Amino acid sequence: MATLHVLSHSPFSDSRLESCLRLLAVNDALLLCGDAVYGTVPGTPASARLAPLANRLYALSEDLQGRNIEPDLSIQRIDYARFVQLSIEFDRVNTWL
Amino acid sequence: MNKSMLIINRQSPWSGPGAREALDIALAGGAFDLPLAMLFLDDGVFQLMSDQQPAQLEQKDLAANLRALPMFGIDELYVALGSLDERGLNVVDLGIPAQPLVDSELSALIARFDHVITL
Repeated sequence: MATLHVLSHSPFSDSRLESCLRLLAVNDALLLCGDAVYGTVPGTPASARLAPLANRLYALSEDLQGRNIEPDLSIQRIDYARFVQLSIEFDRVNTWL
Repeated sequence: MNKSMLIINRQSPWSGPGAREALDIALAGGAFDLPLAMLFLDDGVFQLMSDQQPAQLEQKDLAANLRALPMFGIDELYVALGSLDERGLNVVDLGIPAQPLVDSELSALIARFDHVITL
């Protein structure tokens, strides 16, 4: 019964990422879009917090490219089609509005 | 069979429309007999504080509405113990009874529901 958590706010001005990590179950995954991808900037505390997620961490490719962010952690870059696919594959999607 | 939904409420009561909107979702869902529960997380725990005086802030009372939730069939209210601790609060400070959950119980709670929304 896994949940896909979707974050779209920058972790530098907001506590959503920390709260999300607090309730992330072992099979859950995290998808970063919009300003949330700023959390993958190399060398930042947010990036260090995200690194252990490895294959459970996704980011929208266009949001990384649009912001010229090159993460140095293990992350799965996806497009919108894959986003939709993931939404279906998981039991539920929790969007952190 | 109606799908169940958990509403995660993480906004402080008077900072914006978030708290009121979460309540509106709950009441609308309750009116349609959806199996609903609410989890108060982060600053959302401040919504449950006893003896608030919203009139001082020219706001409408939220507590009365929260207390009315069981009448709409929503009697599962949960609060994150970690969020209370961080804010120097205790379960006894709450004017609205909610079941306290430790961090490890939060993911199990979410897994019980078909849908989750976080406001």
